[in-house]
Amino acid sequence: MALLQIQEPGGKPARPKHRLAVGIDLGTTNSLVAARCGLKVETLPDEAGAHLLPSVVHYSREGAVLVGKQAKAYALTDAPNTLVSAKRMLGKGLSELRQLGHYLPYEFDASRDDKAPAVITRAGSKDPVAVSADILAALKTRAESALKGQLEGAVITVPAYFNDAQRQQTKEAAALAGLNVLRLLNEPTAAAVAYGLDSADQGNIVVFDLGGGTFDVSLLSLTRGVFEVLSTGGDTNLGGDDFDRLLASWLVEQCGDASFNEGEAQQLANELKHQLSDLDCVDFVIGDYQGSLSREQFAEIAKEPLARAMMICRRSLRDARLELDDIDNVILVGGSTRMPLVRAAVESFFGREPLTSIDPDRVVAVGAGIQADVLIGNKSDTDFLLLDVTPLSLGIETMGELVEKIIPRNTTIPVSRAQEFTTFKDGQTAMALHVMQGEREAVADCRSLARFTLRGIPGMVAGAAKIRVTFQVDADGLLSVSAEETLTGAKSEIQVKPSYGLEADTIESMLQSSQENARADMELRSLQEAKVDAIQLIDAVAAAVLADPQLLEEGEQQKINEGVAALAAALETGSSTQVSDLTAALNKISGDFAARRMDEHIARALQGESI
Amino acid sequence: MQAPQDYFSLFSLERRFAIDKKALSARFRDLQSESHPDKVAAADEQTKLLAVQQSSLLNDAYATLKSPLARAGYLLQLHGVDVEGVSQTDLDMAVLMEQMELRETVADAPAGEAGLAVLAPIKQDIGNRIVEREERFVAGLEAMDLPGAKRVFHELQFLHKLFQEIEVSEERRLGF
Repeated sequence: MALLQIQEPGGKPARPKHRLAVGIDLGTTNSLVAARCGLKVETLPDEAGAHLLPSVVHYSREGAVLVGKQAKAYALTDAPNTLVSAKRMLGKGLSELRQLGHYLPYEFDASRDDKAPAVITRAGSKDPVAVSADILAALKTRAESALKGQLEGAVITVPAYFNDAQRQQTKEAAALAGLNVLRLLNEPTAAAVAYGLDSADQGNIVVFDLGGGTFDVSLLSLTRGVFEVLSTGGDTNLGGDDFDRLLASWLVEQCGDASFNEGEAQQLANELKHQLSDLDCVDFVIGDYQGSLSREQFAEIAKEPLARAMMICRRSLRDARLELDDIDNVILVGGSTRMPLVRAAVESFFGREPLTSIDPDRVVAVGAGIQADVLIGNKSDTDFLLLDVTPLSLGIETMGELVEKIIPRNTTIPVSRAQEFTTFKDGQTAMALHVMQGEREAVADCRSLARFTLRGIPGMVAGAAKIRVTFQVDADGLLSVSAEETLTGAKSEIQVKPSYGLEADTIESMLQSSQENARADMELRSLQEAKVDAIQLIDAVAAAVLADPQLLEEGEQQKINEGVAALAAALETGSSTQVSDLTAALNKISGDFAARRMDEHIARALQGESI
Repeated sequence: MQAPQDYFSLFSLERRFAIDKKALSARFRDLQSESHPDKVAAADEQTKLLAVQQSSLLNDAYATLKSPLARAGYLLQLHGVDVEGVSQTDLDMAVLMEQMELRETVADAPAGEAGLAVLAPIKQDIGNRIVEREERFVAGLEAMDLPGAKRVFHELQFLHKLFQEIEVSEERRLGF
């Protein structure tokens, strides 16, 4: 048993063998998986040699779940059972989706809350989390057969501008697919990693990422292997699909043919858009109607989304406190940046030719793969670190339906911030807290993330109680909030789950049903996962005891030893639940000791000693 | 976690208002390279928690020292001054008048893009006033005139707030 696995800050834990970890770009239109193959991180193809997996899931008559190209074939012929662009639906309510004007040829499950839409398919009600999980599972299978082994972890990319609900649901989808998420990584940051490591090691980088359904722009500075995100902006409802949609309505208008349906129009628009990347002008036929479309016409049709993207670039520059002259490189990401009109717009705005040497469709997955390889602990020659930010401000509702910001947007994560509030009525014993996300001042203009109540406040005159509300955002960008009455210590906390997201037990039951269906190896896998966790904990505890024995209280060593022994025994013969339970127990037994070590380390760090 | 009291020593800097920003950033990056949760992403929960806490603390310390206003407030706190509460005696009439006048000039700027040209010199003016106050703040702190330094700090708070408000109104005019 390796005894020195705890991270002694500055120390390097020994990692014996290469562990399998992948980077996954879960895209609106296409998804990819990348992993280290020898010296390079590359995207992995399917058996037919295709790297891109269309993000389409079809529930077939025969009861099969088809993902990718095969599924896409049913997008027109069996639209109600074929889910496309599920990523666009993540974290959104049904009325919000309808308002956004997406093409939704689905029957929505009326029994579901408006906040948690699901599509009725022949395989049952499917929400965007379940659909995303099917896509992730397909990529997992692809990676495991290509790498010939089980994955130990994955980095999954999300648009930087994804809100808390969208991030949570992405993580839930990964859990459903049986993936151990090492980190949710912002797509633009991933792209910068892919480029940063083989280009200049210093400078300011703009990542312009226009995908199928989302737009992100991030500004990063790179200094000696540390990527620091300076600002990030974007729009989760702006992407290549908007260009298709605008072009489709133009086509419908031009041909005046009422029988030409929306789905067909979108498909033709998409084809023409691609052709215009190589040609200056293309001809098309709709029924009896013959027409042509030039690049100039297309630029005119697509003016609005393009202008919106450029406005977001201006804002991001301003947020980063940078001028155009400060920019050293511009990176293009996303299939939609293949459009010449997009490239021209970016080049003219930033006044420099963008970098395109890495395939814009694959660059995000490659960056995520590099990060996954580093996070899982495989030593790489290129040591680097990402310092990312919160994309949206987080706050709390206060009097007058206003939002008090606690963590402003573009704050480097992880972060923990506290603010004090007080009671406004005499004898008030409870306080309702409403957690909000967004930039505007009025509650109505921000997104509601969660509500919870702090009880047990001692009755006092208004304004006398002191309630300390702490917001914590972890390195995945996920929020938890706690509130404490500081005089009595009355406490309440919440891991922010979007009010319309899946509850933990829903995930549990979904996991169970998928187990019953096809994943009989689940127990085996969870046992292995539990064992990995258990061994890590035993190693960490042993190392901690060796490192700081002076911090142990009387009798504590004995209890820890017993916990370790029980867990070690379960490793030999126990089930995954037993191993997990005993791991949790040991965590608890050694928790106080760990907390004392943490204080000690921080205190030492603050005294100026090197940590 | 015990309330940490010296961010300056954490970054190997002298405890004073004027700092070497490059040294601050470099030290921050070095410390984060050691403490960030990404360095222990595959480890057990406790190790990860430790890393999240250390990394959060570093981010907070860095943000505090990077911003001149937050740095000034932090220096006062290190001298045991409560900077949260502002009482009438903390501000004199002349300062309030200055604020009102500045606010009026901002409010009088024409709507739309035309207002940008009017706002730019006001911003410049406020920037100059901030620099002048910062010098007075440093002098006050050196002379250990804590009430005086606190007063200047609150004036700086007003000026920074106004500066931000101008930026917001600029952004509105730019259509953000």
